[in-house]
Amino acid sequence: MTSVMEIYQLLPKTNCKECNESTCMAFAVALLSGSRQYTECPPLIKDDKYHNSRIKLEEILKPIQGAEETGLIVHEELCSGCGNCVVACPVNVANDPHGSGRGFGPTNEKVIFRVIDGKVKAANIEECRRFGKNRIMCNACIDPCPTEAIEFV
Amino acid sequence: MSDITTWICTGCALLCEDIQVYTTNGQIEKVEHACIMGKSRLTGCKHTAKPMIDHNDVTVDKAISQAANILKNAHNPVLYGWGNSTSQAQIAGIELARVLNAVIDSTSSFCQGITINEILQGQIPSCTLEEVREKADVILYWGADPMSSHPRHLSRYSYFPRGDMRQHGYEEDRKAIAIDVRQSRTAKICKDMFYRIPPGSDLEFMKALSDALDGKVPKLSFDMDIKRLLELATLLKKCEFGVIFAGLGLVYSIKEDIHILSGLISKLNELSDFSLIPMVGHFNMRGFNHNLFNETGYIHKVKFTDKGPVSGVEYSIIEQLKGNADAILVIGSDPLASLPGALSKRMEDIPLILIDPCENLTTRAADVTIPCIASGIEEGGTAYRMDGEIIELSPFIQSKGMSDEMIIQRIIKEIN
Amino acid sequence: MAVDIGRFIKAPEYNITIITYRDVFQAAVCEEDRFGSEYQDLSAVIILDAAQMKHMGITEGSNVRLTSKHGSVVVKTRASPQQEQKNIGFMVNSPWSNALVSVDISDGFPGYKHIEVTIAVSKEEITSQR
Repeated sequence: MTSVMEIYQLLPKTNCKECNESTCMAFAVALLSGSRQYTECPPLIKDDKYHNSRIKLEEILKPIQGAEETGLIVHEELCSGCGNCVVACPVNVANDPHGSGRGFGPTNEKVIFRVIDGKVKAANIEECRRFGKNRIMCNACIDPCPTEAIEFV
Repeated sequence: MSDITTWICTGCALLCEDIQVYTTNGQIEKVEHACIMGKSRLTGCKHTAKPMIDHNDVTVDKAISQAANILKNAHNPVLYGWGNSTSQAQIAGIELARVLNAVIDSTSSFCQGITINEILQGQIPSCTLEEVREKADVILYWGADPMSSHPRHLSRYSYFPRGDMRQHGYEEDRKAIAIDVRQSRTAKICKDMFYRIPPGSDLEFMKALSDALDGKVPKLSFDMDIKRLLELATLLKKCEFGVIFAGLGLVYSIKEDIHILSGLISKLNELSDFSLIPMVGHFNMRGFNHNLFNETGYIHKVKFTDKGPVSGVEYSIIEQLKGNADAILVIGSDPLASLPGALSKRMEDIPLILIDPCENLTTRAADVTIPCIASGIEEGGTAYRMDGEIIELSPFIQSKGMSDEMIIQRIIKEIN
Repeated sequence: MAVDIGRFIKAPEYNITIITYRDVFQAAVCEEDRFGSEYQDLSAVIILDAAQMKHMGITEGSNVRLTSKHGSVVVKTRASPQQEQKNIGFMVNSPWSNALVSVDISDGFPGYKHIEVTIAVSKEEITSQR
């Protein structure tokens, strides 16, 4: 998983404020959360000495761009469709207690995780406990995954 | 508009019954809830089998007649495979063995046969997967990695679901333990309840655990904190409903010393309530043992004689291929890929008949190939789930081809 | 004229024991396309302890020849992400591991879970299935 330090190290680290953030570190945090793009840093784009940093940033920020608003990413190529996340996710259990909560495939459309064609798919992301005002750092889908196919960035 | 069918998955012996298949004009569009193994089973193989004699295309009728001829003329025919066949096909196969005075065996002779035999003989108590879901608080995966062999095992039944007596979710209500020689995907989920042992030391670990249960100080010749072993013993003693899922790692480590495992389970049952379920692979591998047991009193390694059926290690597929077999019928299996390579030559040398929906490595050695339709998808019947429950399959595709059961019946007819 | 001395030196051989296991991705590929390259990529592999690989002079991803009393195959190597027991290699059940398995047994159980082999770096291609 990409860390904020990793991103910061690739920025100019001059705190020039041209991006309207107070520091480069603040800009790095904004990049990690997906709320800003690295192309919004003028020196990084203009100066050729940052060429390698740009390539590296492009690469490490790519997964973040594909993430949902909660930062959820499913690496389908790693997923075996075991359904551990389907049954362990507290939202799935609460919204489908007699289906997902009991180990079956989901029986309604209100769940977050569902296995389709042998791979898990996420929906209703706004229901995720990591989302919204009272968000918590829930790990219930990551923890039971045997193949590290789910991550939050 | 798609049609939605509920399908009983034949991808493994869990026989998941909640799979939703979406079809339009008979074409599968989407499948929900199946793992990748189930999805692959449904997709089917890229290379389908064709009726052939000596690698030349023939009609199915010709291939069946040739198969009947080979079997009739053999002195010691062997009928092998059966894990991917319905119970009805297996029972037809047992009849064919009777007609031919043949040897009949399945992969169970070197897989889970010994545990299933103990269960059928009443030496080891077992339970259903539903009981595991509703009641189990201690789950022990021993030499088993269901996350790699039966992907939905933990989510459907053994660890993650909420059960009648386990309402608070797995973190609070259940303890999952793995005993293995490697940190498997299942062992990772068990976290600090993973007991790593050196290869082949299952019996030693079992004896030490048994001592710990007796309140004696256990001894181990390998590096493991004895405190952890005592902790395990305490957990097993205190549990309300415990289940051991026995994998091939355990089976291969104990083999003929199965009574030591039975002994450990008896001891556990004096202290709490314990069952064992074998981690059966193919969707009806267990069915073969039950069906043969019902017909002959033996679960595998059977030879029919004029005086009735007999069983012994000399009738196992391995010993037969090393020695007596002079013709072999393979059904729903790929022995050239799955048996030791040392036996390949022998299989290439003797007449070999292959019944399968797909082309596989054994096709190379087959003198006769007879394609059949896919059991459980194109043809119905029943199968035994890994816990011994009988499940009615739910085919949903209409096919013109013959089922393996029909092929066996036709062979019997031609022989008579 | 330059002489490739390496050609005349036999790669050192080490004795290890192979334990086989199952992999869900390999099993799924086998179901759909058992003759495809993906099946070979997921099957013809031996996993070893990283430190021991270094000791044996094997670089990750290189080919090795495994030889038992019963057969010999060339497969790719991979380092285990965790520490493994010494002199143990892991292979997924497949025709490649089965080629090495012993049938010198009397109990009907082939030596699938305990295969004694020698391992040596090899420049040969991975053994093909057919």
